[in-house]
Amino acid sequence: MVQGKDLDPAAIEVTLTVRLIAMPQSHAVISCLHANLAALEAVLADIDQQGIATITCLGDLVGYGPQPNEVVDLVRQRAIPTCQGCWDEDIIEGLNACDCSYPSQLAERRGHLAHQWTAEQLSEESKAFLASLPMSLRRDRLLFVHGSPNSQHEYLLPDMDAFAALERVESAGAETLFCGHTHRPYVRELREGSIRVRQMSGEPAGVAEAEDRELRLPLRRIINAGSVGEPRHGNTNPTYVIHDEDIGAVEIRELPYEVERTCSAIVDAGLPPIFAWRLRHGFEYAERADDASHVCER
Amino acid sequence: MARWALISGLRGDLEAYEAIQADLRHTRRVDTLFVLGDVIGPERECDALRLSQGEAAVDALLQAVDPGHMGWLAALQFGFIELDCALLHGSSAAVDDSLGPNSSPLLLLDRLTRMDVNRLFTARSGRQFRLELTGGGIDSQVRDLESQRHQQQSVPQRQVIGIGAGVRYTLYDPGSDRLDFLSAGSKPQQRPRGFA
Repeated sequence: MVQGKDLDPAAIEVTLTVRLIAMPQSHAVISCLHANLAALEAVLADIDQQGIATITCLGDLVGYGPQPNEVVDLVRQRAIPTCQGCWDEDIIEGLNACDCSYPSQLAERRGHLAHQWTAEQLSEESKAFLASLPMSLRRDRLLFVHGSPNSQHEYLLPDMDAFAALERVESAGAETLFCGHTHRPYVRELREGSIRVRQMSGEPAGVAEAEDRELRLPLRRIINAGSVGEPRHGNTNPTYVIHDEDIGAVEIRELPYEVERTCSAIVDAGLPPIFAWRLRHGFEYAERADDASHVCER
Repeated sequence: MARWALISGLRGDLEAYEAIQADLRHTRRVDTLFVLGDVIGPERECDALRLSQGEAAVDALLQAVDPGHMGWLAALQFGFIELDCALLHGSSAAVDDSLGPNSSPLLLLDRLTRMDVNRLFTARSGRQFRLELTGGGIDSQVRDLESQRHQQQSVPQRQVIGIGAGVRYTLYDPGSDRLDFLSAGSKPQQRPRGFA
């Protein structure tokens, strides 16, 4: 226990200053941990260093990585509000819950191996926790989901149709939508939108009478947190975001971690070595040659 | 140019179907008939369907359908894509998605975009209407770890069309984009109806 006489007044002042600067309205959002304990520990340490107390997790705690129970335990221990990701759902519901989460048949076969291994490793307690996760979390006009408000499996890619992207946010009654699933972090702002419509009613006698109206669309934002445990943005570093609710600022943070620690654990666990290889080199290089024409009919 | 007839919401009403067929035979030049769902229903009896009286609607519906037809109904497609048109009961989002004249234009555009079509014919609301997206746009700015990109996107000129239900049906000429909202059994009008 620290005695009063041991305290350095200067140190106390520094601590207080850091707490004040840390902006109480700032919060961190993490996603797609994928059983990568080393990456999660590095990200949580970075968040702690920023003095941020509020963290939200967008799911996919497990899958691909070698430490599913450890990652679930750490999220529970830190009491991080978490919504359910597609992997979390599939582990509980079975693979049929998946619409089509793989970019190719080869990636799907590897995914099935990871699914089987993860399902065998997860404790009943961890499974119960994953099963208890909500589909979404809401804080005022901020909405937190894994994929999209429609589904954990829907990808909101950074360059998708702008109106469709806005529809996902607006239909969910949110101003800012936080999502993950793509493993690529980005901030998208949709503004100054409008749609003009001409209505010609066929009722009651089928006579065409035109009526014009215009819908002015509100400013909306989509913030993708990227991935902690399985980065696919062309780099091996985990990413997450810090959002300041007061001024609306968003920082995409990227940081190094002990990637070899996780790669060794993947190999030691008997998981496909390709998972370690792509963590070491980045997703793009591992999957580029795969069959792009695959259409999942499940 | 040949025309399409689009019907829906018969709900087991054989008389309505026969009235539409008679209408098409005698007065309209149609080469394709599309039925956008709700062929069966618990309200009416017809030769093909049997209805149990006094049961809950779902049970009545199940009872109403000849077991021999169940497989056929189960095998029906979600919808049709013809030329640049989607012909659906509900929408590209779901079979029970009800689009109407008062639906949000953002919703309409999303439903069109999901199937990448220029015309979406829908039946779920039971109403006859034509909504044309005539203009507008949106600014999009994306920032990631590498760059910041700015895009302007315009609203494409696309339409959502409600085809009606029961005896109220729609004719469409894909060549001229002409629509006619009709009601089977109604007398011919003095002046042309519909619009191109």
